[in-house]
This record gives sequence, C-alpha cells and structure tokens, in this order.
Amino acid sequence: MTVSRLRDRLNGFPAIAIASLSIATLASAAASKRDGRPVVAGFERFYDRPEAEADPVRGGTLLLGELNCASCHKVEGIAALLVQTKQAPILDQIGGRVRPDFLRAYLADPRKTKPGTTMPNVFANVPEARAKEEIEALVHFLANTGVALESPVRALQVGFGERVYHQVGCVACHGARKEGEREDLKTSVPLGDLTKKYTVNGLATFLQDPLAIRPSGRMPSLNLKGDESRDVAHFLLEGLSVKNEPNLKYQYYEGEWEKLPDFAKLEPVAQGTVDDFVVRIRKRVNNYALRFEGYLQVDREGVYRFHVASDDGAKLSIDGDVVVDHDGVHSETFKEGERKLTVGSHKLVVEHFNGGGEDALTVEFEGAGIARQSLSPAVTIKPERPDSKPAFRPDPVLVERGRSVFADRGCASCHALKDSRGIVESKLSAKSLKDLHNLTSGCLADRPAAGSPDYALGSSQKAAIVAAIKAATSADVKKPTPRDSIASVLLRLNCYACHVRDGVGGVEKERDAYFTTTQKEMGDEGRLPPHLNGVGGKLESEWLKNILENGSKDRPYMITHMPRFAASNAGSLGEALAEVDRLDPVPAIDFDLPEKQVKAQGRYLVGSKANNCGTCHAFKNFQASGIQAINMTIMTRRLRRDWFHRYVRNPQEYRPGTRMPSAWPQEKSLITESFNGDSTKQIEAVWRYLSDGDQAAVPYGLGRSPIPLVVGKEAVIYRNFIEGAGPRAIGVGYPEKVNIAFDANNLRLAVIWQGDFIDASRHWTGRGEGFEAPLGDDILRLPEGVSVARLASAEAPWPETSARQGDYRFLGYSLAKIDRKPTFHYRLGAIRIDDYSDGIPDPRGPRLKRTLSFDLKADDAGADAYYRAAAGNKIEIDPADRDRYVIDGTWRTSLETSVKPIVRNSAGKAELLVPIRPATDTARTAKIVQIFIW
Amino acid sequence: MNRLHEKIKMKIVAGVIVCLSVIALDLGFDRPARAADAPREDDYYKITKFKIPDGLVLEAGALQLSRDGRLAFSTRRGDIYWISNPFAADPAKDSKFVKFASGLHEVLGLAERDGVLYAMQRCELTKLLDDDGDGRADRFETVADGWEISGDYHEYGFCSKFDKNGDIWIALTLTGSFTSDVKFRGWCLRLKPDGSLVPTCSGLRSPGGVGANAAGDMFYTENQGPWNGACALKHLEPGAFLGHPAGFKWYDLAKNLGKRPDEPKSDSRLIEEAKRIPELSPPAIYFPYSKMGQSASGIACDTTDGKFGPFYNQLFVGDQTASTVMRVDLEKVNGRYQGACFPFREGFSSGNLALELSPSGSLFVGGTNRGWGSRGSKEFALERLDWTGKVPFEILEMRARHDGFKLTFTEPVDSRTAGDPKSYQIETYTYIYQANYGSPEVDQTKPEIASAVVSDDHKSVVLTVKSLAPGHVHELHLPGVRSAEGAPLLHPAAYYTMNAIPAEESKP
Repeated sequence: MTVSRLRDRLNGFPAIAIASLSIATLASAAASKRDGRPVVAGFERFYDRPEAEADPVRGGTLLLGELNCASCHKVEGIAALLVQTKQAPILDQIGGRVRPDFLRAYLADPRKTKPGTTMPNVFANVPEARAKEEIEALVHFLANTGVALESPVRALQVGFGERVYHQVGCVACHGARKEGEREDLKTSVPLGDLTKKYTVNGLATFLQDPLAIRPSGRMPSLNLKGDESRDVAHFLLEGLSVKNEPNLKYQYYEGEWEKLPDFAKLEPVAQGTVDDFVVRIRKRVNNYALRFEGYLQVDREGVYRFHVASDDGAKLSIDGDVVVDHDGVHSETFKEGERKLTVGSHKLVVEHFNGGGEDALTVEFEGAGIARQSLSPAVTIKPERPDSKPAFRPDPVLVERGRSVFADRGCASCHALKDSRGIVESKLSAKSLKDLHNLTSGCLADRPAAGSPDYALGSSQKAAIVAAIKAATSADVKKPTPRDSIASVLLRLNCYACHVRDGVGGVEKERDAYFTTTQKEMGDEGRLPPHLNGVGGKLESEWLKNILENGSKDRPYMITHMPRFAASNAGSLGEALAEVDRLDPVPAIDFDLPEKQVKAQGRYLVGSKANNCGTCHAFKNFQASGIQAINMTIMTRRLRRDWFHRYVRNPQEYRPGTRMPSAWPQEKSLITESFNGDSTKQIEAVWRYLSDGDQAAVPYGLGRSPIPLVVGKEAVIYRNFIEGAGPRAIGVGYPEKVNIAFDANNLRLAVIWQGDFIDASRHWTGRGEGFEAPLGDDILRLPEGVSVARLASAEAPWPETSARQGDYRFLGYSLAKIDRKPTFHYRLGAIRIDDYSDGIPDPRGPRLKRTLSFDLKADDAGADAYYRAAAGNKIEIDPADRDRYVIDGTWRTSLETSVKPIVRNSAGKAELLVPIRPATDTARTAKIVQIFIW
Repeated sequence: MNRLHEKIKMKIVAGVIVCLSVIALDLGFDRPARAADAPREDDYYKITKFKIPDGLVLEAGALQLSRDGRLAFSTRRGDIYWISNPFAADPAKDSKFVKFASGLHEVLGLAERDGVLYAMQRCELTKLLDDDGDGRADRFETVADGWEISGDYHEYGFCSKFDKNGDIWIALTLTGSFTSDVKFRGWCLRLKPDGSLVPTCSGLRSPGGVGANAAGDMFYTENQGPWNGACALKHLEPGAFLGHPAGFKWYDLAKNLGKRPDEPKSDSRLIEEAKRIPELSPPAIYFPYSKMGQSASGIACDTTDGKFGPFYNQLFVGDQTASTVMRVDLEKVNGRYQGACFPFREGFSSGNLALELSPSGSLFVGGTNRGWGSRGSKEFALERLDWTGKVPFEILEMRARHDGFKLTFTEPVDSRTAGDPKSYQIETYTYIYQANYGSPEVDQTKPEIASAVVSDDHKSVVLTVKSLAPGHVHELHLPGVRSAEGAPLLHPAAYYTMNAIPAEESKP
C-alpha cells in the first residue's frame, strides 16, 4: 500500500491520522526496555511519546478504559460515551486452569510475576503480615473453584503449536516465540511465564474460547479448529516440568470378536506400561483388544461423569463396577456414565477392542471442579501417588475468608466470580470520575496509599490519564463523533495491529514476516489483512457484522485468521463504519431485456470468452485456473452494489497494488458485443448474475473438460509432463491403439499402454500443473534407468545413474513420411542409437514392437554395451512358447537378436540383457527387435 | 448529494446516453472529458485482427517471420503454423494457416537461420527440418538441453532470435516464484554457433520475452514478484546478476563466471545493494505496476528506418495483463542502460505475449490469457499493428541531464505551454528490494521543476529539475504541453528509471 496515496485520499480526517504515521515509526524504531508499567498495545504504539507530540487526551482515555478505572470510579454523562470499561477475566473456574502457587505469587507482586500486566497490585503498601494472610485466603478461595490437573507437554504437539501460533495471528499482538526469533517489542502484549500459571488443559480451555473467560475481546477467539488450541497450549508451555511417566498397565490381545471378550480367559500377546489411553500400542489394526488398568486419584468427593469414545467397543469400570458400557461393533461415538467417588484412589479398568476398519479410543471425565478433559492425568499406575507432594486442598475456613477479601479489596469490582452463593459483590467504594479533583493522589500518587491499587504507571501514562480525566469531566466535553468512535474501537481492540484505516495502524515491520499466504504470488495482497478505508461502504452490513462478531475466512489464501470479537465488543463498529463510509448510491439501471437475459449477459461477461474472472476467482466448488481469489458466489452477499460498480472500474483506486485488472478501464469496455460496450450495463449485468449466488449457472470456461488426443491414421506426439516418464516425456499414440511414453531424460521406454492415448486438459487448461497419467488401459511401467549401458563385465550391476549424468546425449527424433511414427535418436559415447517403436495388430490385443539399431562404426571401446530388455523380480521362459520370457508373471516378451540374450540376477533383481554385438565380424551395425505382449 | 441523486433520476428518464455521463460523474471519475478532436491511438496505429480457423487454439507463444514473407507462430499447446500473406489488407480473406509441426512442449521462443526454424520448448531448443519438403517438419534435432525441468508449470523457457554473433539467448524461469529447484532455473544461457551452451547471467525470476536493441545488446522483460518491485526491462550483460538470488547454487556449474556474488539483503533498495554487489545490475527500465502494465512480455526493436513511424531504434514491449504495447527509449549513462517508457497502444484482444516487427513496419502481436487474466478478453489472438503514416504528437525521447531532462518531441511544440514549468508535473519513487512478492512505491519525492526551456527548432525542451533522485523512477506528466498546432500529447506521461545521474554536460 502506498502511504502517500492513502495520505492523499485522506480528506478531513485529521491530526491523529497523519501524526500517527510518524509515531508508528518512532515507536517501532525505539526498542524500549520495559519498566514494569502496564502494557496497553495501542498506547505504546501511538501515544507513548514526548508530550509535545502527544495527544494525551486520546491516549489517556484509552488507558482509563483498558486499566479498568471506570470499574471503581463511576463515569457518567457524556464522559461515559468516551471512557469504555473493560471486563476483567471471569474467575468462576479459575481453579481449574491456574495453579495455586501462581495465584499466590501473582497476587503478592503482579508486575514481578507478569511484567507489563494491567492488573494493579492491591496489596502495595499493605503491612506485610496482613497482606500475606489475605493473599493466602484469596488463593484458597480462588483455587476452590476447580482443580487444575497436570499433564505432560508433548514434543510433537509443541511443533504443531509453534506453527499455529506463528501463523494464525497470535503474533499480531504477542511476541514471536520461535527459537532465535524471540523479540519483545514494546507493543507486544506480554504473556509472562505461562508454565508457572497454566496447566496444559487449563491453557487449552482458555484458548479454545477466550471470550468465555475474557468477554471483553482484547484477546479475541481465533476460531482454532480441532486440536489447534491444545497444540498451541503445548507450545506455549514448552519447558513445563511435568514428568512424562507411564501411568497405566496394559495388556494386548489378538482375536476376532464382535463384543469385548472375557479377558480373564485369554493370554495376552503383549503387555507393558503406557502414559495414556492410546490405541497406537496395538500390533495390528484389525482384530485386537486392549485392557488398561490404573488408579484414579480423587481429591474432592463428588459425582464424576465419564465419557468414552471408541471404535469398536469399549467399557470403563471403577472399583469393579461398570460405569460406561459402550460395547459392540460401532463407529467412533461417545457414551457417558456417572459415579459418585470419595477422596482417595479407585481402581480403574478400561477395555477396548477393534474388529475391522478404523479404530479409536478417547477417555474423558469431568466433575467436582474439574472441567471436561482427558482422564489420563488423574490416573496413576499404583494406588499411591508417585510424587510426595500432596495435591492442594482448599481449607474451608480460608475459602470463606478469601471470599470476604475478594469483596473488600475490590477484586470483585473488576472480576466477576460466581460461586454456589452467587456473584461476589464488591465492597470497595471510590469517588466517581467527576469528583476526582486531586489528580496526584490515590492510584495516581507516586506511592499509592495502602488500599489504593498500584498500577506502577509510567510518566507518559500518568500524564495522559490526568489529561483525559480533565477533558472528560470538563464542562465543554463533546460527544464522540462516529469517526471518533470507530478510531477508539480500532485502538481498544488493537485492530490496528493488523489493519490500516485512514493512514493509522497496519502490521508493524517487525511482525510482518508472520503474515503469510498459501499463494505467495499474490504478494502483500495475499498475506496482509486488508486495509479498512471505506470498509463500511464496501461490505454489506450483515456481512460486516458477522465478520466482527464471528470472525471470517473469506480470503482462502490468507493464513492469518480474522478473529471473533463478539457482538458486545464490536457490534456497534459495523454501524458506525456504514454511516461514515457510506457511498453515494449508484442509480438503478433499467434494461429493456427480460431479467433472465440480463443475467445471461452477466454470465457471458464473467466467463472465459469475455472477462475470464475464473482465472483468479473460484466459483462454487470450481477452482480458479490461476490464483484462488475470493469465491464469486459470495460477492453480492458480501459487497455493496455501490462499491462493486466503482471497484471493478478501477481496482487500484480501492485496493492499491492489487492484481485485479480493470475490465472497464476509463469506463470503456473492450467487449463490444455485450450491451454495445456500455460499461455500466455490463457491470450491472454481472452483479445481477452473481446475485444468484450458489444458484447461478457456472460461467463459461471454469473447470476442466477433458481434451482427449485422438489418434487417426498418423501417430500423435505429446511432449509434456507424463506420469512415470518424467518431465521430458514424449508420448506417442499409434494408430494400432498402442501408446508409449519415452523418457528423454533417461533415454528409455518408460510406460506403454493400450487403447486411448492421453487427456491433454491438465496441461492445456489453466497453467497446466502436474504430471498426466495415460488415458488408456493395461498400463505397463517399464524399469527405471537407461535402456542401453556399458558394463565392465557381464556380471557388473546395471548403472543407476541417469543418462543426463552419464556419457549420453539425446539427439531428437525424426518422423516417418507416411504415418508420422517417430524414431528417437540418441548416443552413448560413440554409439549412435535409433529407437523405433510400432504397434502390431493382433486378435488378442495389439502388441508393441521396438526396434533398436546401433551404429558401432565409430566405437572403439570394445564389446561392452548391453541392452536391458526387461527387469523384475522374476524372469522365466514362457512354458507356452520357449522363445518367450515371462516377467513377474505379468507380461511377456520375445527378442530377435544376433547374440543370445542373458537372464541374470543382479543386485536382487532379475534382468534380461542382450549384448550389443555386430551380426557378423565385418558388420559395424547391430540390431535388436523386441516384442512386448501385455 | 440527495439533490444530485434526484437529478440523476430525472436524467435517467430523459435518456440513457445523458444518464451514463452523469453516472460517471457521480462515481467520482474526474478525468477530463475527451474532446471530439482529441488525438486517438487509432488514428496513428491501426490494429488488424487475423481470423483464426475454427478449432485452432492459437495461444501464441512466439512469432517468426520468414524471408519469403510468411509468418510462423507457435502455440502453448505445442503446434507451429505458417501463415501465408500475413501483410494482406484483409487477412480474413487472403491469409492461410498451414500446420508445420505439433506435439511440442509449450513453445515460447522461435528463431530462424538460413531458412530453418528453431523452437524453444520447455525441455530443449529444437531445430525443425523438413527434409522431404512436404511443408511439414519431419526431423526434430535437439540443439540445446543443458538445463533441467522438474515438472513445475512455472519452469518456462524463452529465447531470443539469433544475435549479431549468431548466438541464441535462452532465459529460464525459476521453479515457482521463489526457488530454483533444478539446474539453471533462473538463469540466462547462451547457445554459441559451435553448439556450446554458456551460462551468461543469473538472477532471473520470470521472463516474458527476450530481444535485442538496435545496438544488438540483449534484453529481457522481468515480472513483478520476489526481488522485483515492479515489472522491468533488464540488460542481459554477460556476468550480471539480475536480482533474484534463488539460482545462486548453479554458479558451481558456471565456472566461466567466477565466484558467486554476495547474497543481497532483503528489505533494502536495489541501488544500495548494487553498491555492495558489483554483479548486481539494476533494471534498465521499470514499468510501474498497473500504471504501465502488470506483466511485461515480448520485445521488438524498430529497425525499419521509419516504416513504423518516428520511433526507429526504440523498443516495443508487450504487456500481458493490460493487453498493451509499451514503448521504451534507452540511453547509456556511466556505461549502463537506463531510460524511459511510455504508453504506446492499448486495446489488443487478448493477453499480449509475443511481438514481431517486420522490416516493412508491421508489428505482429500474439496473445493468450490462459492461467493469467488479461484486459483483452479473448482467450487468444493474433493481431497486426500498422502505422497509418500520420505522425502522433508524442515524446520521442526522454534523456537524463545532470540537472534534469531533455525531452524531444515528434512534432514542434508550442513554446508558450512547453516553456511553462507548470505544464509539467514530476514525482519520483522507488521499490523495496525484497524477498517478498512485489513492492509498493516507496521513498516518494516531489522535485520542483525550476525551468522549461524550448529549443530554437521547437522540437525539444530542457527541464531543470531540483534534486533528481538516483535509483528512482521519475514519473513525468505533461498535461499542459501543446504542439505548435495546439494539440495535446497523445500520451502525456513518461516514466524514467534513473539508475545514475549523468555528469555535467561539457559545454558544446
């Protein structure tokens, strides 16, 4: 995107836009050392700068929201339209995600535990003994909300997670974490030492749906699929020291069953220990059974629910009683069962069998503060726990005390926590924003008094907050305009990390490399999130709303995800954008044609005989023939008609640098046969045609129709990439209905087949990617490697090097006058070889006759050249015809030679060799004829 | 705006023609309305379309004229045809298509020597002989195949005509845009008359054509992509590294070129890297993306001595996406080529790929848009561009001076408008030299035009420009300049690639 062009197009959007350009540069240029102050990405990027250049009111207003000032200090009137509140994480089940040890350390010193955190220290300057007592009570209260089960980090998933983390967009806000690429930018939202905080399951649960725990959308949901959130959790917790020890005994059985067998009566084929309920320890895929045995460690009494998915049957028993019975032959489905369990260890048995086909086994549980997760981490191999360290057990007295502290200290002002008694209400009261007159006291004091939260604000932050409070509470405070509101949402949700709007924001240079694409040749357009200039005039309201609320994947080539921000956070943005970016409507266009014919014209214009949109844009399930840009069938649901009419005339104006060419440059159409070249009518016709979405008829020229090459009286040649014959293949279709593919790289007959020749559509449609297989039947692939070679002795192995590395040279081919059948010419040293194939009609199916003529005149190297007529595992004399050989029992061949062929075994292969010798002592030529019957 | 809207509604009722012009206004197109007597390309250069026989998928990859006045074209499907009477006033009636060869592998280059055709296939350069004289090739001799192909569609091969030394220059695209998976992908090789194949230049990415200028020096067109901020015309100076380092590993097979150059640093500027890497040769001409075109292709040099209009010795370059032919005026500064490109002719039917200019002054243009879209909407086309004999008012030459430019025009200029600096606008920019695909225009400057001095013969103007920017494209617009007869320029724009600023001219 060219900055200057954008700048030129900014009319009236003001100071912040232009100024921020230079700030962005400043901010990224200066790698600042963190001083422990809270990191709010938007502030660091745009407002942390010398006062003279600062816009402290905007920066401070951002902080008032992001630091949750309004949660304690009531904001009223117009100011409430300016200062947003951010809901802090919901702590209902924090005990199931976060370790008690972390909670203790974090509450005691948030900044030290997680530098850059926006949570203030509420115990700053509180007497030590008191603080310690209250913190311990809070830890018990919070830990009582769930149980965090440890499970090990697996290297394989770390690898997957690393890729996901660096591709889907995590790096837009957080630092890169690849080995050797860790860079802590000042604008990166810090993560702290996650291994201290989260268990694998806890973090995976959070990543799966961040908005459930942090509903304010600062950490949006990246709509991770399948195991991706778990993989990222493994990656982020790499280095977590949970030992990966076996926790189950298992026995493995083989046999054919339709139900789980009586294991007591069977002898196991194998047994041992394992660290999870996994089927991979089986020795064959079908007809086996597994029995796992271990001890379930229960820390809290309660009712537990068990989930077993299996293919085929499975059963879960506790203390000898069946809890989940999912026996019988079935596909992978879940079945559940419940059981009340007391504190202590319980014997657990899981049995599984598979008959045929797919196999699978998953065992999960939930209950008594444990969110649904894999059962394995709660199981040990012996009744007693292997580690001496006891599980954290909340003390009911401390839990109760912690609940009061949570209310009194004001934790409940920011954090919602609902337990069996309901939401905890905050008891902390603070002055409303308009009553804050002494702006160097309280949270803003150099040393906040006991009871005041300590944010450790930096000086620029403090100055900005003071300015923002003054502005918001002054008598002449103005309502934010829609433009202001848009800019403030983009700043708050850090949309600017990925998107530019009106010259502000966009991917920072240091993060640029993490925005990638599946279609590199689309350039930046294919990998960088789109600019948002005029986006409200571009996208249909419903579509835009859906993107903001649910995320999107409209651009199939872009690897970064547009995340889900939820309606509560981004809902109003769509409306404001639509209002500000509204385009003047394109007037209705009347046709004197029936609608059906207008659409037919649209279809024609989109198709390959006109604008050929299908070169780049997919249509329904049809791939485009070049790059794969946005699917045409969603265009009219996605885009506004007013924008579409403008865009297709001049794509560069709306997306600088796009590859999209204009089919209507300077309002002219090059297609005069449609509406007499009237560009407006043509565009409208395309729009109406596309309005049928999925129901629209497929445009001309999309998809590949077969182009079979038909052989008549003359041979047909096809030089191209042919499967089995390499990139320098020369296919020949013969009138006798046999076909060959000659490999000009290795100077060998590579593939022969019967019937139809080849379909050229792969190479003659679109860009022509890949190798095409023969079209006909009875495809026989002949051995790799050269056909003719020099051997040091008759026992020497056939050379494996390719002809292009050896003393060979392809010379070309010539065509016979009558039937255009080719003779290939090549050279091995001084020996010149003419290689001619021909089809021989036969009632039992055509045969192939290959004639090789050798010119030995210039050959003074001695009699060391051989022709390899066949190679395989087994070469035998044909019992039906003693002059023929049978290769691997699949095809037969006979030879006319002056010297007797040799059948030999060499390097584990059977080979049929013919010495290349002159027919008589005086002749300087040799000839070999080989017939292929297959 | 509502009022305007109402007005539009009324006009729709009033009549379609009126309505259209208002819609254009409403859409914000602020281009000047075209006067009825404004110059049109068609008045000076006329396009004649060939009628293509049914069933022939022409997809022209290359063109070659024979000495007996026939035109050969090769297709991406591997056929070669001869056209008789290609200069006929009505080719639909008088030109015949005769198939000469088929079954070849995507032929993107044709050359001729002693009446024999040579075809550049993906896999090899082939000599095509018709031993029995029946008009169909019957012997296909491999004359060069010293490079590899892996089966990637992007591994194309282009070639020049025989040059003044009897060499053919072969330009091999990379495997995809980013890598050189097999031998000599991303290289230029030269086939010598003795049959040897000489590695000549590295650093190619995706050539679209190869051709010599009037001096006989060889050039190729390069396309926007990794290490190429915009499409360009590059001089194939033996030993040069032309920008994309993916093919560096093959220096081991090019002992004649010595050691491999230093790796360029990504995210830099080409002119900066060239200071450090002596082999790195900057493009002679950039074709600014989308302003001039989006995929530069075939090259033809006007050596007709005026039969093709006033631009003799200049180069004509096709653009596949824009379906245009552009014009290039080169000069040598400090021993290296640089110069200007100008719009020349638009409105071709398909994606222009191959260009061939006859000694008699007809430019044949072959097109295809398979796999890459084009503004011209036909899937393939063959067209001929002829000069009508009328001289268009154009910038003939744009040459750099130490403090500006000298513009020479095809017709005398009006000294009042041409002598007024306000008749000109200039801005400069360059591209990021980077491993990522393409580049926006960056480092923009807007130099001031201090003076415009018209020569005594009114055929040229010297522009004094404050602070020229080395390494930048200088984009010049001349909206105010008029000919002595009061006509505006047919194309009032020029793009000069300033690799080096010339030293101060010695006083004449």
